[in-house]
Amino acid sequence: MTIELKGRIDSNNASRVEEQIRGELAGFSGGELTLDAAELAYISSAGLRVLLRLRKQYADMRIVNVNSEVYEILDMTGFTEMMPVEKAYRVVNVEGCEEIGKGANGTIYRIDQDNVVKVYNNADALADIQHEREVAKLALILGIPTAISYDVVKVGESYGSVFELLNARSFSKILSTEPEKLDWCVKEYVDMLKRIHGTVVPKGKLPDMKETALKWAGFLQDYLPEDAGKKLLRLIEEVPHDDHMIHGDYHTKNLELQNDEVLLIDMDTLAVGHPIFELGSIYNSFQGFSEYDHSVIQHFQGLSFETGRLFWRRSLSSYLGTTNEKKLQEVEDKARIIGYTRMIRRSIRRKGLETEAGRAEIQLWKDELLELLEKTDTLLFTRNELQVEAVDDNLPTVLGFIEQHLEAADCPLKAQMQISVAAEEIFINIAHYAYKPETGKVIVRVEVEEEPVQVTITFVDNGMPFDPLAMEEPDVSLPAEAREIGGLGVFLARKAMDDVSYQYKDGQNILTLKKNL
Amino acid sequence: MTIPKKIDLHMHSTVSDGSNTPAELLDCVRQSGLELFALTDHDACKGSLQMIELLEEGDPGFITGVEFSCRDAEGQYHILGYGYDPASAPIREVIDNGHRVRMEKVQARLAFLRDRFGFDFPREELKKLLSLDNPGKPHIGNLMVKYGYARDKNQAIKEFIDQLHLKDQYLSPEEAIRGILASGGIPVLAHPVYGSGDQLILGEEMDQRLRRLMGFGLQGVEAYYSGFTRKLRTMMLEMAQRYDLYVTAGSDYHGTNKLIPLGDTGLEDATQGPEGLQRFLREVHLAK
Repeated sequence: MTIELKGRIDSNNASRVEEQIRGELAGFSGGELTLDAAELAYISSAGLRVLLRLRKQYADMRIVNVNSEVYEILDMTGFTEMMPVEKAYRVVNVEGCEEIGKGANGTIYRIDQDNVVKVYNNADALADIQHEREVAKLALILGIPTAISYDVVKVGESYGSVFELLNARSFSKILSTEPEKLDWCVKEYVDMLKRIHGTVVPKGKLPDMKETALKWAGFLQDYLPEDAGKKLLRLIEEVPHDDHMIHGDYHTKNLELQNDEVLLIDMDTLAVGHPIFELGSIYNSFQGFSEYDHSVIQHFQGLSFETGRLFWRRSLSSYLGTTNEKKLQEVEDKARIIGYTRMIRRSIRRKGLETEAGRAEIQLWKDELLELLEKTDTLLFTRNELQVEAVDDNLPTVLGFIEQHLEAADCPLKAQMQISVAAEEIFINIAHYAYKPETGKVIVRVEVEEEPVQVTITFVDNGMPFDPLAMEEPDVSLPAEAREIGGLGVFLARKAMDDVSYQYKDGQNILTLKKNL
Repeated sequence: MTIPKKIDLHMHSTVSDGSNTPAELLDCVRQSGLELFALTDHDACKGSLQMIELLEEGDPGFITGVEFSCRDAEGQYHILGYGYDPASAPIREVIDNGHRVRMEKVQARLAFLRDRFGFDFPREELKKLLSLDNPGKPHIGNLMVKYGYARDKNQAIKEFIDQLHLKDQYLSPEEAIRGILASGGIPVLAHPVYGSGDQLILGEEMDQRLRRLMGFGLQGVEAYYSGFTRKLRTMMLEMAQRYDLYVTAGSDYHGTNKLIPLGDTGLEDATQGPEGLQRFLREVHLAK
C-alpha cells in the first residue's frame, strides 16, 4: 500500500495528516506500507512523531522519493536507521545530449562539461545500478582506474547513474577522428587489458564467466547437431577456473582518455575467468557483430569494419606478444568459438529467428562455429609474453614460462637447458641492476619460428639504459672475487646462444636471444 | 518498595489538553499494567491533587507532576516538575501567576478581536471560555469558527488572533525551575530534542541549552520519550550521563486527542534502566 505525503507536515497540521493517513489505512491488513514523499517539502518534529507512530504499528514501512532536506532531517534524528528511506532522484533529460558510449545494458550520454550519465535500458534498473556501483568500487580498490558514479537520477521512465568525466574522450572517438593514433590506442588498450587480466579478484566477489559461457552453450544444444553441441560444452568445461578479472564488454567506447589518464567505464559486466572469454567478447565487438552487416560496428563503435579488424588484430598481437600469423589465427579461432556461441544465443533470444535477416545472420555464425568446432581441440592458449616484477623470486615463473613454449615446440632437452641458463642470467641481471635501488617490470617474450626452427627470447625493461654487450668479456682466468659482477652471466648467455643483440628504444632496454634448433 | 518495571511519567488529563478526566485516566493506568505514573498537566497541579484523592489501596505508584510551558529570549521549553508538595506555596505561585498571565492574554485577545475586526461572541460562550483552566489561542479559534468568523482554527489563529503580538508574557524556565525546587520537586526537561514540541535541537545546541537550564537548577532530562528514535534517546542518555542528570521516561499520552498509547516511552523495563533513572526513582518514589 502506498500513501502520498504532501507539502509540509508540522505542528499546525500533523494531527490532521495523521488522521488522514489512518483513514487511508483503514482496512489495510498489513504487509508493505510505502510512504511516497515526492511531494513532501518539509517535515517538523511533530511530523516525525507521526512517522514514528506509524512505524511502531507497521514494521514493513518505508519512505521513498525523499528530498534532500527531508532526508537530512530523517538522518539526523535516526529515522534512517529505523526504516528504509530512499532519496528522491533528480530528473535528468538526455534529449540532444551527445552519446558517448553504448554497452550491453545502457547508453552513456554527456550531460555537461564535467558529467556523464549512464541510462539503463530496463526501467527497473536500481538493482543493476547498485551492482555496477559495487563492482566499480571493487575494481578501483583492486587497482583498475574507473569512474565511480556519485548520484542516481531519473531519466524518463528509467534510471541513470551519474559520473564525473572531465574532458574525456572515448577511444572510439580518438580512433575515428585521429587515425594516426592507432598504434598509441592499441598500446593503451592492451596495457589496460593486461592490467585487468593481471588482477586477482577475491573469491565470490564477481560472477564466474565460465558458468555464464556454459549457460550459453547449454542454450545452443537445441540449435546445434548433437556432436557439435557436446564438443562445445566440453571445450568450455575444460577451461580451468581462473580468479583473474575480465571486463566482459571491453571495447573502445568503454575506454576513456581523461586528461592523460586512461579510464574504464561500464563495469557492470565485470567477472572472473580465463582470458579466452574476454577475447571472445572483444572479437564480437570489433568483428563478430558486424560480420553479416558491416555497418553494425559503425553504429556501435563509430568505426569502419576495416578499422575494427585492424584494431582487433593489432591488439591481439600485442596482447599475445607475437606477430606470428599462425598463432594469431589460432587464438582468434578459439575466441570466435566463444563469440559465436554468445551471439547466436543472444540473437535467438531476441527473436532473431523470426526475421529473414536474423535467420541469415544466425546461419552465418552457426556455419562458422561448426567449422571451428571441427578443427579445435582446446580453448586454451598461452600468451608469448609474460610481464613480471623483475625480482629474484620470479625467476621460476619466467623459466617455467619459457620452458612451456619450448616444450610445445618439441625443443631438444639440451637446447632447452642452454636457453634456460642464458635466460636466467639475463633475468637476474635485470632484477639486480636495471632499476637499482628500486624494482620494476620486465617483459619476457618467446617466439618459436618453424622454418628454420628458431627460438627468439626477448627481455624488455624500462630501467636505466644499459648495454650488457658493450661490456668487456670477463677474464675468466681471474679468481672469482676479482671479476666484475654481472659480466659473467652475459658471457655465458652469448656462449650458449646463436645470436644476442641489444637495442635501446622508446625508453626501453631490449635484449634479444636467438637459438637455432 | 522495589523499583517498578513499567513506568510512564508524562500524561495529560482534561485539566489541560488530554481527553480523559483524572478518574478515567486512573482507570486506564490501572488497566495498562503500569506500576508507576505521574500526571503532568500543562501549567496546573489540579490534576495531580485530584489524582491523589482518587487513588486507592493497591493502585499503581503515583508521583505528583506538572508540565510548564516556558519561554525566554533563548527559546521555548517544556519543564516537568515531579514529586513536589502540591500544598506548598512556591509552585502554586508559579501556577497562579501562569494562570493569571494566560487569563490576561485571553482577555487582551478577545478585546483585540472585537475592536479590530468586530468579532463578538455571546456572553455565555465567553463565560464558558474564561472558566476553563487554561484557555488559549486554539479555544478562541474554535469559537471563531463556530460563529463564522474563520474557515478553520488555523486560519483564525494565523490571520486574526496572531495579528496581536503579545510579548514577554511568558513564564520563564528560570521561574518554573525555581518554583518546582522550592516546593521540594525535581525539575526535568521534557522531550528535550523537540524543545516546546516542534523544534529540533541537537548536538552543540542541546548541550548549551542543558548547561543554561542547569544553571537555573534543572536536574533531569526526559530521555525516554514516545517520539524519540533510538538515536535521539542515545544522544540524551549520553548527555544525562555527562552532566550527571536524572533520567525520566514519559509517553505524553493525551487520550484520544493524540495518537500516543499510554506507557509508550521507549523504556521496556525501568529496573534495567540507566543509573540516572534508578536514582530518580529512588529519590521521588521509594523515599516516600
